[in-house]
Amino acid sequence: MSDATGDETAGEARADGGTTESATAGPSAAETAAAGVAGEGGGRSSNTFLGDVWVNFKRWNVKAVRNPFVLVVSLVQPVIFLVLFTEVFGNVAGRAVAEGLPGVSYETYLVPAIAIQVSLAAAVTSGIGLVNDIENGMFEKVLVSPMNRTAVFLGKTAAEVFRIAIQVAIILGLGMLLGAEIETGVVGAAAIVATGIVFSLWFVALSNSLAVLTRDQESTIIGANLLQFPLLFLSSAFLPLSTLPDWIQTFARLNPVTYGVDTARALMLDRDVMTVLEVSRFDGAMNTVIPGFAVLLGLAVGFGSVAVFLLSRASSSDVQ
Amino acid sequence: MASPGSDESPAIAVDGLELTYSDGTRAVDGVDMTVPRGEFFGFLGPNGAGKTTTIKVLATLLSPTAGSVTVNGFDVRSDPRKVRESIGYMAQETSIDPELTAAENVRFACEAYGVPRGQRADRVDELLDLVDLRDVADKRAEEFSGGMKKRLDAATALVHRPPLVFLDEPTTGLDPKARNRLWDYFRRINDRGTTIFLTTQYLEEADQLCDRLAVILDGEIVAEGSPAELKREVGGEVLEVHFEGDDGGEGDRGGDDGNRGSDRERAAEIAREFDAFADATVEVTDDGIAVTAPTAREHGTDLLVALRDAGLTVTGFNVRAPTLDDVFLAITGEEVETERMDAGREEVQA
Repeated sequence: MSDATGDETAGEARADGGTTESATAGPSAAETAAAGVAGEGGGRSSNTFLGDVWVNFKRWNVKAVRNPFVLVVSLVQPVIFLVLFTEVFGNVAGRAVAEGLPGVSYETYLVPAIAIQVSLAAAVTSGIGLVNDIENGMFEKVLVSPMNRTAVFLGKTAAEVFRIAIQVAIILGLGMLLGAEIETGVVGAAAIVATGIVFSLWFVALSNSLAVLTRDQESTIIGANLLQFPLLFLSSAFLPLSTLPDWIQTFARLNPVTYGVDTARALMLDRDVMTVLEVSRFDGAMNTVIPGFAVLLGLAVGFGSVAVFLLSRASSSDVQ
Repeated sequence: MASPGSDESPAIAVDGLELTYSDGTRAVDGVDMTVPRGEFFGFLGPNGAGKTTTIKVLATLLSPTAGSVTVNGFDVRSDPRKVRESIGYMAQETSIDPELTAAENVRFACEAYGVPRGQRADRVDELLDLVDLRDVADKRAEEFSGGMKKRLDAATALVHRPPLVFLDEPTTGLDPKARNRLWDYFRRINDRGTTIFLTTQYLEEADQLCDRLAVILDGEIVAEGSPAELKREVGGEVLEVHFEGDDGGEGDRGGDDGNRGSDRERAAEIAREFDAFADATVEVTDDGIAVTAPTAREHGTDLLVALRDAGLTVTGFNVRAPTLDDVFLAITGEEVETERMDAGREEVQA
C-alpha cells in the first residue's frame, strides 16, 4: 500500500539528511566533554548532570531552529516598536527625554527598553514549549528516563537564555544602525545582554508556572501576552517616569520591567538613571546597575522557586 | 531473597499496592502480582479499572500510597533512578517530539538513557529497522501517521535494551493493520528475552500476545492466569443456540421482534431449569441463547430436544470453547462494549 510513498519519502529524507546530521552531530567541545564523562563501553553508561543539561540544551535549540516562527515572532514586535516609536514619537518623546537627560537621543533612550521587551517576549515562549511538551507526551517521557530532572529544566532554560542573548544582541545592533549609541562600548553591550538574560528569568519562571497551572497553550500565550503590554507601558521603558502620571509612577516602582530597563539604560548611557531607588554608595552608573541586578536576581529566585515547586509537584503526580 | 537488580529477582513484584489520589479516589486497592523475567504479561480491564495508575506506579511516575513495589529488583520508592534505567515505558498517549525527525527522536532517547556515544548511531539504525521506519529516518515526526508515530514511540522505549518494557494500551486508536504490525514488533522484542507488561482493553490482543494475564476491576485483581486457564475458569464450554427467523431472513422482518424476543426468553427459561446444566450461565443473545456449562458438550443435544418439545424451532447450534470475552462477562457481569472500547481511550483516572 505504501510502497510508492515510502520511496518518495526515502528520497526526500536523503536529500535533507546531510544538514540534519551536521546540525546534531557537529563537533563541539561541550558535547565531547559530556560524552567523555559519560564514559564508553557497556550497554548503557550512567548519565551525568552536565551531560543531561547538554542533551536538553541541544534538543531545545534544534526545536528553536526548526520552528523559526518562534524566533521571528518574539523579535518582530519589539523591532516594530523600535522603528515606529523612534520615527513616530521620536520628536515629542525626544524632547521629554532631553529635559532629564540632556544630549541623549530618543533612539539611545529607547534601545535598552526594546532589549528588555525582547527578553520579555522570548520568555513567553518558554512556557509555550513546556505546554507543548506536556501535550505531546515528551514531559512524561523525560520524567520516566533516568535523566536528572533539575538538569532537564536547566538545559531547557539554558537554550532559551541562549536565544534571548542572541536576540538582545540583534536589537543592539539594529539600534546602532538607527543611530543609538552605547557609551560603555563592547563591555557595556555585553553587560546589557547579561541584563536581558537576568531580567528574563523571572518571566521565564512565570510563563512556566502558567504553563503548569493551565496546561493549555492558548491560556499560557494569552496570560503572558496580557501581562506584557501593561508591564512595558507602566514602567520607565518609553518615557522618563517624571513625565508620567502619579499612579503610573507608583506602579512602575513595583514593576520588574522598570528595574530591567533602568539597569540596561544605565549601562547604555553610563550614568545613574534609576529614580525608583535612590542609591548613591557606588560610582555613577553602578548606582543603578548594582541595585538593579540585585532586584532582578531577587525576582528570579522568588519566581523561580514558585516555578520549581509547581514543576516538581507536576512531576511527582502527573494526575488531575 | 535475590539481591537488587540481580537476574534472579522477578521483573515485577508487587505486594499490597494501594494508590489513593489527592481527591480521595482509590484507584488501586490492594494489588499483588509477580511477573517473572521473560514473560509477556497482560493487564486487562475496562476503562477506569486502575490499569494506567498501576503502570505509572511501576514506571515511577506515581508514588504508591501503600504496599511494596520492586521492579527488576529495585524499589520504586527508594531507588527510582535504578528502576528508570532498567525499564522502557511506552505511554498510552503517543509520546514523541513532532519537531524532531524520527532519527533525532531515537537519538534523543539514546542520550537520555545514557547509551554510550560510540553505539548511538548503530542503535538508532537498528531500532528504526526494527519498526520499519528506516526509510523515513530523517523526516519530521509531525508528518507521520498515527501508526508510524506509535512505532517510533515504541522504538524510543527500547534504546537502552531494557530487560522490561511497559506498554500502556499501545494499540488503542489504531486500525487493525497497524495493530497487527505492532503485535509483530512486540512478539519480536519478547522473543529476544525482554519481559513485557502490557495493558489493554482488547481481549483479542491479550489472547494473541500474552503468556499470562491479570484482570483488574475497580482497583483489584479479580482473576489471574494464562489465557487458557482463565477460559477454563469460566466453567466449561459455551453452547449457542439460534432460533428460527433470528438469522434476519427477509420474510420475518418487521413486527415480529416481540415474538422472537419472547421465544428467546422462553428458551433461556428452559435452559435455566434444565437439570443437566446445574451451574450454567444462560444469556440471551442477538439471535438466540448462549449457555455456558461444564457439561455443555455432553448434554447439549438433550437441551435441543427439550427446546423442540417446547415448540421452539432451532435453526442452528454450536459448541465452542470460551473466549476472553466470556471470561470478562463471567467476572465483571457486564458485556464488554466493543464499540465504546474501539472509540475510546482510557483517560487518566481522576
